[in-house]
Amino acid sequence: MINMSRSISLGKILESRELLYTLLLISVILPIIHPLGIPIAVSARTKAVYDYIENNLKPGCHVYFEIYYEVAARGELEPNVVALTKHLFDKGCKIVYGSLASFGVIVFELMKTTAADVFQGREYGKDYVFLGYVAGGESAAASLAKSIKGTVSVDNYGNRIENLPLMQEVDKATDFDLVIIASSGTDTFAYYVRQWYTPYNVPLLFAALSIIAPSIEPYVGAKQAVGMLVGQRAGAEYETLVGRLGLGMASMDAQSTSHMLVLVFIVIGNVVYWSQRLSSKRGGGK
Amino acid sequence: MISWDILGAWLSAAMVVWIYSFAYRDNLFYKLAEHMFVGAAAGYSIALALDSLNRVMIKPAITTPETFWTTSWHYVVPAILGVLMFAKYSRKYYWLARYAVAVNIAVGTGLALRTVPIANITRQITATIVPLWGSDPVTVLNNWLLVLITIGALTYFLFTIFPRRAEGARPSPLYYVYRTLYYIGIYGMMVGFGALFANTIMTRVGFLISIYLIYLQPQYWATIVAAILAAIAILLPLIRKK
Repeated sequence: MINMSRSISLGKILESRELLYTLLLISVILPIIHPLGIPIAVSARTKAVYDYIENNLKPGCHVYFEIYYEVAARGELEPNVVALTKHLFDKGCKIVYGSLASFGVIVFELMKTTAADVFQGREYGKDYVFLGYVAGGESAAASLAKSIKGTVSVDNYGNRIENLPLMQEVDKATDFDLVIIASSGTDTFAYYVRQWYTPYNVPLLFAALSIIAPSIEPYVGAKQAVGMLVGQRAGAEYETLVGRLGLGMASMDAQSTSHMLVLVFIVIGNVVYWSQRLSSKRGGGK
Repeated sequence: MISWDILGAWLSAAMVVWIYSFAYRDNLFYKLAEHMFVGAAAGYSIALALDSLNRVMIKPAITTPETFWTTSWHYVVPAILGVLMFAKYSRKYYWLARYAVAVNIAVGTGLALRTVPIANITRQITATIVPLWGSDPVTVLNNWLLVLITIGALTYFLFTIFPRRAEGARPSPLYYVYRTLYYIGIYGMMVGFGALFANTIMTRVGFLISIYLIYLQPQYWATIVAAILAAIAILLPLIRKK
């Protein structure tokens, strides 16, 4: 009887979501305070993206960079954006940033502040430009592909587009050697596949949240994109490749410990489920 | 001297803690943070939309009218359509909004339709036409899985014509083929959902980690105070109930 009540109370504690949340919080915070230094290997997928940029982009090339993620998704996508930006600048590429989302303006400025060293020595207007928020969703994406100057007359800071030296070199989709989409939404990738890749055949590169990756995988499988960086893990891998460790790498220990915790709970859940099923069968199928 | 930056950092740390406190229980501070977030987000979106309009159209039209009316005059058309959207709020002129909505839908549909058949149908079908024999066993296995699961998943969603097992009759070979593909489809999708679930955990944990690193760790005192306040707000009603 005592054993039974004990097992019930233990079961109740294990069932409570508060316990899981608390353990998850501990498993995230502890490895950040005391880093474990769990090594991470660079996946073939991330290496393929790195090699694509390394082998196909020449100094002076032009890249369009769509910034489409909210502040909450910074941790998953900013490491990718910063590492890619560093790689592109190191290769001597010129970047035009733009955003089809209103929150893109905030995250771009935050990214610039966090990665001030990456932008150091790069001249605004010559090495990079930020178009700011371009309203209109897919229609705006189609319009930008046809003509940036025809879509926006000024950049995010109110400078006239035609007065920026970089914007005298590029105007339409075919002027770009690569288009990178860093987005927390599935639709954005579809916009660029439909409006930039399909009509103009411009190479696309995706940087997506882990949760989005399975949904846009068919585009990568169908070679409509040259590659994809998936979440924080890919960000950490790319940081290793470009030699600038940041938020992605700092998160990896916590990712590993929290995943282990979730795995343990999945195993416990399955053991409890099957033992209950077996005991109910033995007890006459109640 | 407390600067606005420090105050902002404290506030952001507290807001994060209060929003996450909902995972334990609904409480006063969660509600406060939620309402502040919704208000700030709505206000920011409106301000940014107006700023975009001002930056792209109104300001250039006033400061450099010659350039604007020769190169960017077409911005006036969407601006008028945008204004027409607000006619919805008038009982007398609400019908004017229909023109703006109609143009918006027509342009969106037209733009999407011109490439959807190629981007989302043709290219996806051709991507499943892959060699099923070759020297690399991993590639061959992947290709088989791709083809079988694609056909299986499509078979699972056949809702109209499919082979049935007649009452008392021996099932036809087509019926067995259909059942096999049907189960391949189910298990293939299950594996897909499993991958999606794992990715969901990774994303949510990633959000938590980065938010902790960016907002909470640098302002740990604000975090602790906010957590204590949230704990009091959660526990106090529970104690009172007892």
